[in-house]
Amino acid sequence: MEAIKRKKLRERIIENIFLLCACVAVISLLAITFFVFYNGLAPFVSNSYSLWSFLTGVEWRPGSNMYGIFYMIVGSVLATFGAILIGVPVAILTAVFIAEMAGSRAGKVIRFAVELLAGIPSVLYGVFGLGIIVPYVLKISPMAQGESLLATVFVLAIMILPTVVSISETSLSAVPKEYREGSYALGASKIQTIFRVVLPAAKSGIMTGVILGIGRAIGETMAVMLVCGNPIAGIPTSLFSQIRPLTTNIALEMGYASGVHQELLYSTGVVLFVFIMIINFAVNRIVKTKVGN
Amino acid sequence: MGRKVKDTLAKGIIYLATGITLSVLLFIVGFIFVKGIGLVNWKFLTRDYNETVSYVFVQAAEVPMSIDADNLKKENPYDARYESLIDGPIYIKSIGAAIAKVQYRNNYTEKEQFVIAYIEKNSPLLNAKDSTGKNVDIKTDDIIKRINGINLKNLTLQEAAAQIDNESGELKIKVVQPGGGVKSNIITTLYMVLLSLVIAIPLGIFGAIYLTEYAKPGKFVNTIRFAAECLSGIPSIIFGLFGMAFFVVALKFQISLLSGSLTVAIILLPVIIRSTEEALKTVPTSFREGSLALGATKLQTIFKVVLPCAVPGIATAVLLSIGRVVGESAALLLTAGTVAQIPGTFLSPGSTLTVQAYYVAKEEGNIELACAIGIVIIVIVIVLNVLSRFASDKLDVFNKK
Repeated sequence: MEAIKRKKLRERIIENIFLLCACVAVISLLAITFFVFYNGLAPFVSNSYSLWSFLTGVEWRPGSNMYGIFYMIVGSVLATFGAILIGVPVAILTAVFIAEMAGSRAGKVIRFAVELLAGIPSVLYGVFGLGIIVPYVLKISPMAQGESLLATVFVLAIMILPTVVSISETSLSAVPKEYREGSYALGASKIQTIFRVVLPAAKSGIMTGVILGIGRAIGETMAVMLVCGNPIAGIPTSLFSQIRPLTTNIALEMGYASGVHQELLYSTGVVLFVFIMIINFAVNRIVKTKVGN
Repeated sequence: MGRKVKDTLAKGIIYLATGITLSVLLFIVGFIFVKGIGLVNWKFLTRDYNETVSYVFVQAAEVPMSIDADNLKKENPYDARYESLIDGPIYIKSIGAAIAKVQYRNNYTEKEQFVIAYIEKNSPLLNAKDSTGKNVDIKTDDIIKRINGINLKNLTLQEAAAQIDNESGELKIKVVQPGGGVKSNIITTLYMVLLSLVIAIPLGIFGAIYLTEYAKPGKFVNTIRFAAECLSGIPSIIFGLFGMAFFVVALKFQISLLSGSLTVAIILLPVIIRSTEEALKTVPTSFREGSLALGATKLQTIFKVVLPCAVPGIATAVLLSIGRVVGESAALLLTAGTVAQIPGTFLSPGSTLTVQAYYVAKEEGNIELACAIGIVIIVIVIVLNVLSRFASDKLDVFNKK
């Protein structure tokens, strides 16, 4: 009797340990949100810097107490938008090839290539950008340096490829065979079937992929830091302008910042965090409606 | 007819897009290999990044050379990519070693240096001690700068050899062990992988067990899944910020191996939870029922039946996680620092391979070196990819049964 009781107690304890482990993810998320917001909102709460001039300023000069991130937001958004514009069509068509047209062997090879592309650390994309894309942009640029919005867009476009390809491919493969057969039976060609039946049916999955791609592009730091130029002021006016996305602002200066300067770097993180949260909710929304259907 | 043309056109565009994706990969990997391969060799992997200077004390002796002069010429510790031979080597009896004069290229500066080309088996150099009496490991290819306070700079090889041979008694030699390698970064990466996995793997696996085996579907499970999803969507620089505020500042772990690996462990959590959950779900319910019917408790069932079946899936999770740690940079930049050294304790900083690649590309503008580090990283990534493929194939085999 005693032995069984002890056994039961042990099972109980271990179950609770498992429960605790499962909660770590939630706790971490809460802790991250708390610490970033706590530090990031402090300068506005204590009135050591005005929120308005933080959000609308176009100069970041810690030396002369000017901390404006509006031009960084613009830079981040433009770079992400450009990357989506270039990267998404290529990625979706690649996914179409893998899911619909490739034989099993070719599909395997390309899938492996995409996985490898996803596995390459972002720093190396940056090194590649610095070694190839930046010098090339410099050749056609009227500016004196190749680090620019254009170079950033290209690097990010490459970096979102694996995310969008793999998620789109999964959702294309999930489209029931009957859809295609029905389309063929109506006399449609393979290409027509792909573009009129399969792609629309996989729409929500592809959208999820695109939004995750946006998330990756806007949150990318190390690769971008090497190719964007990081100016201290100025809204980008052309493709060849230098930009300073939110992420690189944090990574560049966090190492030595202190006081208000450091807190405002956390505030930059808060702005980035808000962007990411919006993206996360969008994904969740899409996934939910898909399940609903 | 019109439809055929349109179809061919569309097909062409699809092929083109796939071609672009493939060629981008080949181009990047090709660029990194072509640019960096010139620097990758054994020394690159085994040297520290920074050169180390030490003064060593050696008891002069009379050690005859045991190999003949022709063979001495073949003793060639220098590397054409780092050094080019100017003169030598010449054997010196008093230290039982041969030195050679080389043109030494250390990143940018080209300098003439005397390097140790050959060491006799009973050379006094092998018993070299520093001022505190600790043994110093002198190897071929180390640079000899000074002897008994006499700078060897501007001497010819013969003069330098004569200078060293003239000295007797206890010799005080300034030795420089050349840098330019990534040994410390490889070891830091290894530490980082081990430490973060030790933290994240149990948390992730136990969490996944709770979600699949214990929790009833509902709000609670959904909350945890949502949190895990959110975590996987957060960019690593935000994790870095958190790590800096919490581990580095609030818990006073400083910028260190420990702060870095704790931060990375949180990044790994969602990956491990999800992969383990998937693996656990593939284990048929009948297995559990069978085990329970035999009188096993739930815990016994989980550890003796369910987990062993899910091993390939968990292995995939581990491999994926290793890949994540190796590739992680932004979070580590803020929490583990950019110091190229082997961390002595959990609380000392150290830069992993990726952070070092960033550092040399950004701060030193040395793309070749960054690419050379990149080759090491890509090789690791490819090996991990192949292994995880192997593991997931194993899982598939199990499923088919």
